[in-house]
Amino acid sequence: MISRFAYFKPHNLNEAVQYLEKEEKSYVLAGGTDLMILLRRNLINAEHILDIKGLPETAEFNFVEGAGLTIGASVVVNQVVDSEVVKAKYPALNQAAASLASYQLRNRATVVGNICNASPGADLPPALLVYDAVVNIAGPQGMRQVPLHEFFTGVKRTVLQRGELVVSVHLPEPGEGDKSIYIRQARLRGHDLATVGVASRIKPDGKVAIGICAVAPTPKRLFALEDQINARELSQETIEWAAKEIREHIRPITDVRSSAQYRLQMASVLLKRGLLTLIGKEA
Amino acid sequence: MDNNKDCSMYTEHVESGKRKVTLSLTVNGQFVVRDIDPNMTLLHFLRDNLKLFGTKEACGEGECGACTIIMNGKAVTSCIILAVEAEGAEITTVEGLAMDGKLSILQEEFISQDALQCGFCTPGFLMSTRALLDHNPNPSDEEIIEVLSGNLCRCTGYHPIMQAVKRAADREQKELGR
Repeated sequence: MISRFAYFKPHNLNEAVQYLEKEEKSYVLAGGTDLMILLRRNLINAEHILDIKGLPETAEFNFVEGAGLTIGASVVVNQVVDSEVVKAKYPALNQAAASLASYQLRNRATVVGNICNASPGADLPPALLVYDAVVNIAGPQGMRQVPLHEFFTGVKRTVLQRGELVVSVHLPEPGEGDKSIYIRQARLRGHDLATVGVASRIKPDGKVAIGICAVAPTPKRLFALEDQINARELSQETIEWAAKEIREHIRPITDVRSSAQYRLQMASVLLKRGLLTLIGKEA
Repeated sequence: MDNNKDCSMYTEHVESGKRKVTLSLTVNGQFVVRDIDPNMTLLHFLRDNLKLFGTKEACGEGECGACTIIMNGKAVTSCIILAVEAEGAEITTVEGLAMDGKLSILQEEFISQDALQCGFCTPGFLMSTRALLDHNPNPSDEEIIEVLSGNLCRCTGYHPIMQAVKRAADREQKELGR
């Protein structure tokens, strides 16, 4: 039996923020696929559970031509998997979403929850990062926007302060001819956490963006590596060079899923495979 | 989201030191109202309060699929959902598949294909399949595998289960005109 708590499902954002600010041991519930495990294992001492699924702002799942895609905090992963707009405009996000956990869990797990849980191995952040995702946060001082690459501060840690709550994540619209791909390595074909996951994107102007998970304390956007690649012509040689160079930009650890050595090797392979696929060369 | 009934308006009251909430939902076509603890999972609500023992608990963490039910048309693992989250929801459990004492086509095909041995995972497989066929009466092998990938079976193996699902899909299309 999980510990006792009070349950609150507000329908107004201000009410939600006030509640989170007032009650110290309060936790946000969206899909619950991470929170319920923590509760069950008694890893957290929750006295208050705030269910955000009643907040209208969190249900938003909307693509606006010229503005981009907004994914509310109650939008579940399978909504993203099934979305034709996401398939067409944000393929790496579609692929990352489809690779997350199992079908039933994707019916509950939310995109924003995958961010807020801040697991180093989360599948969605690499894809969201390459699209320059921005996190919309509501708090006692009103709304603020944080770029996703500044959102994670450590393993299971984010910039969220007491009383704050993520309302949605926003992805600018990619231009015509934008290409992206997410490739993950796992121990088995069924559902498993990623050993390494790499999102690669080539923008219409030819510039590359790279997001990666499970090789550092947080999911990362590899800006320094991108600059080095973008200073060269994006050829097969550049990609092969980048696949070696990526080892200098990540610091994986050895754990139950993989050795650090294997992660370095896989990061290299997945980046090469991704970029070669995007430029139309067999990997 | 699907269950947007106003839970903030719950009448919380103190009962022998516990904070209970009132939950109302529809389970297998029957409207149900109960006072429950907010920390109760939907799985335990179904089993302990409604005595619907068909839905099983194995891993308790959403990994194995034994507790799969259909909630508002979607297959979900009831062990990691709070019962209070199901306020206003429409729920189908394995008990809701048979009609008037007659097994459904899907259940008959699980039997005809020997798609079970110990049977502990079977209710979960049946509910995942039911949700699939409700949305997609003629799924491809890949679609079946994808949807059933969250259900683990440790004795039968998956081949007879695949056969049962495909035969059930065929028969439902012919006999029920899906």
